[in-house]
Amino acid sequence: MSLTGYKRSNGEWGFRNHVLIAPLHQMLSQSARAIEEAVPGVVAISHDWSGMREKDFDRIAKTLSGILVNPNVFHTVILAIGTDIESEILSLAQAHAKTPFTIVTLKDAGSLQALTELGSKAAATALNGAKALKREPAPWSAVVLGLECGGSDAYSGITANPALGVASDKFVADGATSILGETMEILGAEHLLALRAITPEVGQQIIDVVARYEKSINYEGIDIRGAQPSRGNIEGGLSTLEEKSLGAAKKAGNAQFTGVLDYADRPPVAGLYFMDTPGHDIEQLSGFAAAGVNIAVFTTGRGTPTGSAVIPTIKVATNTEMADALPDLIDLNAGTIADGTQTLEEVGALIYDLILRVANGDETRAEIGGHHEFNLSRLYGSTL
Amino acid sequence: MKIQGIKHADRGVGVRDHQLILPSVVCSTHVSRRIATEVGAITFAHQNGCGIIGIDVSGIDNFFIDLANHPNVNSVVVTALGCETIQGNELNDKIAQDSTHYLVIQESGGVEGTVASGVAHARELSAKFPGTVADLDLLTVGLDLSRDVANLAEIRALFAKENISLVEATQRSGSAANFSSLMSQKAHVILSFPDENQPPTGFPLIPVISIAGSGALHQAIISEFDLASSASAAEILDCVIAIANGKKSKSELSNNGEIVAPRSVRSV
Repeated sequence: MSLTGYKRSNGEWGFRNHVLIAPLHQMLSQSARAIEEAVPGVVAISHDWSGMREKDFDRIAKTLSGILVNPNVFHTVILAIGTDIESEILSLAQAHAKTPFTIVTLKDAGSLQALTELGSKAAATALNGAKALKREPAPWSAVVLGLECGGSDAYSGITANPALGVASDKFVADGATSILGETMEILGAEHLLALRAITPEVGQQIIDVVARYEKSINYEGIDIRGAQPSRGNIEGGLSTLEEKSLGAAKKAGNAQFTGVLDYADRPPVAGLYFMDTPGHDIEQLSGFAAAGVNIAVFTTGRGTPTGSAVIPTIKVATNTEMADALPDLIDLNAGTIADGTQTLEEVGALIYDLILRVANGDETRAEIGGHHEFNLSRLYGSTL
Repeated sequence: MKIQGIKHADRGVGVRDHQLILPSVVCSTHVSRRIATEVGAITFAHQNGCGIIGIDVSGIDNFFIDLANHPNVNSVVVTALGCETIQGNELNDKIAQDSTHYLVIQESGGVEGTVASGVAHARELSAKFPGTVADLDLLTVGLDLSRDVANLAEIRALFAKENISLVEATQRSGSAANFSSLMSQKAHVILSFPDENQPPTGFPLIPVISIAGSGALHQAIISEFDLASSASAAEILDCVIAIANGKKSKSELSNNGEIVAPRSVRSV
């Protein structure tokens, strides 16, 4: 199967051609939703940031600026208040890519209603441009694959995760980029991943990032190994965080790790990366989106509807019972491995093919259902 | 001061008659919005309910309980995913029982099943628990003091004289954070003095009355404010009474304002 996409001026490739409506202040989130409703075909994000220089400002700025120029975005309509702090975010975004922006400010529009009307008009014009752009043949290096799991169960580590690892390895071998996230979910497995690092320095970074993470949680007076696995994980048969981690890490197959990325940072060259993200599904997907991930696979044992605003997100079930019970959430069932009806390699090949089909334009369940969550990830409190 | 309020079976007398579709976790926010849109209820997006630890677990739980038990609410549909940290059934047990229904996506056949069931239950609750007109003996007004207010002493004195209860929030980190605190203090109406460099903003469930400052930003978007910077204490009181009696505030008309849930610890 060949690969097609949309080439961007900075050399990145998109597998979607979104017109994104992005508010830079929580007060404009409702206008973004109103524009999304008025102009079918565009996609809006919303968030709770009030444009304050809070303790987490750098992380917030990186996340917001990164998603504005995700390669799956053709044009971004930015809703702003008209403040200096917003200009900083736009400058950061433009350092990554020259994605066309239309900036509508409340200050100039004079009212929310006028802003929503101006934004809708800009969105409709941009959407016509997006529809006119044709896909072209893309190289394997166009793929920036995000690896995620959520609502894990005892099957995760023996079915969906290692099968996704088979697919990830194949992409990495062909020159693509693949990113494993969720620092909590490699805790206890970091020494094994470090052995696969391309240099001892990268191996040490993997160890260090996990240590830093555990310290940041211990600082709160909490033992993460006691707080995790979550109740849902335990009901799904997972006994310890280490067991969860050993299974979660299998999503990254057996390839060498080229590097370690901070949250929302773009990978500098192709290869397999580990990114320091929370295990929180949406904070992780939002970090991936900001890092330029253009397609993601999300394995789940318990089933979850969530998706990303800009990344097509493929759901792979770890067990047949859940896949049958929640068909509108699941794109592919890897539970057949445990059933004994398919091998790991066979399901890995199916995931690989599905990634290509979705990259080429097939819609995921999350896209069909309109699930495109977005959150800002904070390391400090919401009001600090 | 007599206000014509709305009595709710389990929550006392409020000034609005809202049904709340409460997602107990980020994963059910989209399902909640679909249900709310279908039945004309209120909902909100947030990123809580899972991956939270420490004091945030009880903090977010209590915040959701405060929202669901607010006097402006007639009934609640709690939507959960199933495998998250804050378990919807335990949350449900702490919310006014009879007029609350609880739904789990993982046990309702997925998204479409949950939406269909949620819409049916929301309609049933609306029919069964209608708000009825009743006198509100003690109006509680929340003051968002995100900036310095010149006639604050005058406002406090006038409201006290009219037997209106005032609760206050004084953080300087954006009005939305103060609104959450005022909601938990059961404010029926919020009187907001946003920072000069911040736009006026709203809060689902509670009418917010915004008073402009004299700075350039507020003057450029003056039509988004309920009252000008020159408003006297008496004019502010008149506006509060009109809004409490049912007139819609600017934030209600534009329907803007995201909820900022009080978080102290990072997500895991």
